[in-house]
Amino acid sequence: MKKFVALLMAAMMALSICMVSSAEEISVANAADVWASKWADVDTSEHVVINYMTTGDAPTTGANAEMLAELNAILTEKVNAEINIVWISWTDYLANYNLRIASMDGSIDLIGSSTDWLDAWPNSKRGGFLELDTEMLAKYAPVTYATVPKEHWDVCTYNGNIYFIPEDNYSQWTNHGFAYRLDWAKEAGLENGIQTWADFKPYLEYVKATYGDKLIALWDADGTAYPAGGYICSFAKWRSIDGLASGAIWGGYLDDPYTINCLYLEETDRLVEFAKLMKEWDELGVWPTDVLSNTGADNRLEFRQGKTALEQHHTQTWTGLVSPKASTDNTMYLDDEDCDVGFYYWGKEAGYVTRDLVTHGVAAVSAASKNPERTLMVYDLLRNDRECYDLFNYGLKGRTYDVDENGYRYTPETYVAEKDSVSTNWWWGRNDDLEIPSSAMNWDAINALYDEYDSIAVMYPYEAFVFDNSNVQSYINQCNETYTTYMKYICFGQYDGTAEEIVEEFQNALRAAGCDEVTAEIQRQINATYGK
Amino acid sequence: MSVVNPKKVAPYSVKRSLGKKIWNSKTLLLMCLPAIIYFIAFSYAPLPGIYVAFVDYNYRKGIFGSNFVGLKNFEFVANSGKLWMLTKNTILFNVAFILLDNLLAVVVAILLKEIQSKMFRKVSQTMMFLPYFISQVLVGLLVYSLLNSDTGLLNAVLKSLGQAPLKLYKTGDPWPLIIILVHLWQKTGYNSVVYFAAIMGIDSAVIEASMIDGANGWQKIRYIILPSLRPTIVILLLFALGGIVKGDFGLFWNLVGRNPILYQKVDIIEMFVYRATVSDFNFSTASAVGLYQSLIGFILVLTVNGIVKKIEPDYSLF
Repeated sequence: MKKFVALLMAAMMALSICMVSSAEEISVANAADVWASKWADVDTSEHVVINYMTTGDAPTTGANAEMLAELNAILTEKVNAEINIVWISWTDYLANYNLRIASMDGSIDLIGSSTDWLDAWPNSKRGGFLELDTEMLAKYAPVTYATVPKEHWDVCTYNGNIYFIPEDNYSQWTNHGFAYRLDWAKEAGLENGIQTWADFKPYLEYVKATYGDKLIALWDADGTAYPAGGYICSFAKWRSIDGLASGAIWGGYLDDPYTINCLYLEETDRLVEFAKLMKEWDELGVWPTDVLSNTGADNRLEFRQGKTALEQHHTQTWTGLVSPKASTDNTMYLDDEDCDVGFYYWGKEAGYVTRDLVTHGVAAVSAASKNPERTLMVYDLLRNDRECYDLFNYGLKGRTYDVDENGYRYTPETYVAEKDSVSTNWWWGRNDDLEIPSSAMNWDAINALYDEYDSIAVMYPYEAFVFDNSNVQSYINQCNETYTTYMKYICFGQYDGTAEEIVEEFQNALRAAGCDEVTAEIQRQINATYGK
Repeated sequence: MSVVNPKKVAPYSVKRSLGKKIWNSKTLLLMCLPAIIYFIAFSYAPLPGIYVAFVDYNYRKGIFGSNFVGLKNFEFVANSGKLWMLTKNTILFNVAFILLDNLLAVVVAILLKEIQSKMFRKVSQTMMFLPYFISQVLVGLLVYSLLNSDTGLLNAVLKSLGQAPLKLYKTGDPWPLIIILVHLWQKTGYNSVVYFAAIMGIDSAVIEASMIDGANGWQKIRYIILPSLRPTIVILLLFALGGIVKGDFGLFWNLVGRNPILYQKVDIIEMFVYRATVSDFNFSTASAVGLYQSLIGFILVLTVNGIVKKIEPDYSLF
């Protein structure tokens, strides 16, 4: 009887808590009140510096220092802390980034990370990130904790512990494809731009014949972009498991995602087709003769300057290319008033794209941080406080940016990038609730593409899956190496002999590297996760 | 030159305590101190860290707290099926480097010694020395701007002479030679300094005496200078052998990089390990590979030192 009463009381208490929280839903609108109540009893008597680590090149402008001074005054007032940015420059960023986390000397607190491009899971498993329990999050990052839905916390959880905070309320698309000159494509007779892989050839041939002299190359590739998977997935509805290997090697077909396979062993015919197509591109002279050693190239900048005709990257990058005012480097619009940039994305022909992972950008707390509580408080402010958000994301109002009567951000007349620009590379705490859209962006074109995506987008099927690589990492390493080696031959048509031969050689090398063993291990763990 | 009778000194020195020995050589020891500290700090103190090659390293648990996994970290290199090829390539390149380095360095040192004009000697020595200070990243770019197919200097010259361009970045065969040439260009000036110093250290009385006895230039080199250089050559060779399984990553990476057409012909252990593990940040695997290389180097040094000791005890390292 006693037990029953206790259970009843517990149930009632739980119910009442649910009712209270649903009655006053926490959002950025009432954030200040939430902080006032949650942080009332937190001891912030000691002033602390929160070191925030991000990848990127440190800015040297005066505006950046001023922005930080202004922000730190606010942070000091609110939580008696200030923020200092630790930059990991782009040269060898992944190794240096991991090394900094591994050093565990307490010199960093807040870490920007990602499960698909910045080793968030390996660092969690190796003890680099602090486990964030729900009590801690609810206390010190209450607004973030309440606004991130449970299913998104679940995808940041491993062995029962939450390891990072997802940037899950920020609209962006990081699916890959080719950006190309839409105006040139139209001139070449492709009225609607490039719609299929087959359209590229007439486009490239036309550009070469017409503008060849003023271009550095049609695509000044450095031999590190491998569109083979993109080609195959333009026809086959297949999705890779992110964060496993350097290439999209393992995954499954969308109609049966939990049957795991290796794309390059499965799709022989399409891979052969692709190898033949790239041989044709090579013979057409799309890239420099020594493409595999052309490491000094900066194709994106050259594209902005109208000196190349293709740029291989994701949609988010394209939004900056299609918007004339998005960058002062976009001089192609000055030289050619008809200039326009189109985007051909992988999956266009099969009619699908996969939504971004909510863990494409995440924030973690270093396990060696001396002030994890204050780190979470600062994060909560940067993500949810209007004043802090604007400073950290946009800079100084009136100098770096301003807002017009329609609520759009614009760059003031007096703005000089060399002294007025601000950058914090805050890619792990952006928030649509506080975003001010930029008037520099070509929203007509961007929204048209986003609408197209929304109509065909499918969910990433492996979000709840965290792979334990300990049994097969040595095979994955071998497969990575094999993949990269052969992708260079295949994607740039740099092979002797026939396409069939090089594909067969690649497949044999993958098998010898232990590809099938990895597939079997992933399948075993997928079965355990999804209960197949 | 005073010769101390060893028989008289020996019993006395045995009786001396260690403390007294140290006290008597205090000046010498003081002079060696920086080197001693250096080796203790960077070579002996970190030795227990070798253990990292046998654990699944966890940042929070540290080297000795992490889980022991035996030889698992070595599996990756063994599994590749390329271990033998990579080791062979690495050793062959190093053999070429060691032999040619020393041969060329001795020749250059002798030539420098024979140059009469001091000015000419200084200028040529400086010019040969300079490449040593150029970063290998720049060397890689220099070679690329010389040899690339579209805009390279070599091909511009060939084209102007009406010759077909050489597509060197599209064929792997010439690259062992290119790598060796670039290495020699970069290192010879530096290497010759040691030999040059050794030559300068030869008692000039011996050389003068040989001249008086009627030795010509060649005979002087053959019978006086080369034999005097023998200990230096042997010691430098022994030192070099310790690193014979360690490749010059900077040189190879910057010249060949990620271009598989080239690295298929000149792949060495470091290049392969870097390519395969760059996306898997793992101290343990890297340490396992390092330990494998050091172990082979260690065995080689012991073996060759043993052989040298048998033939010419004075020249051995220990």
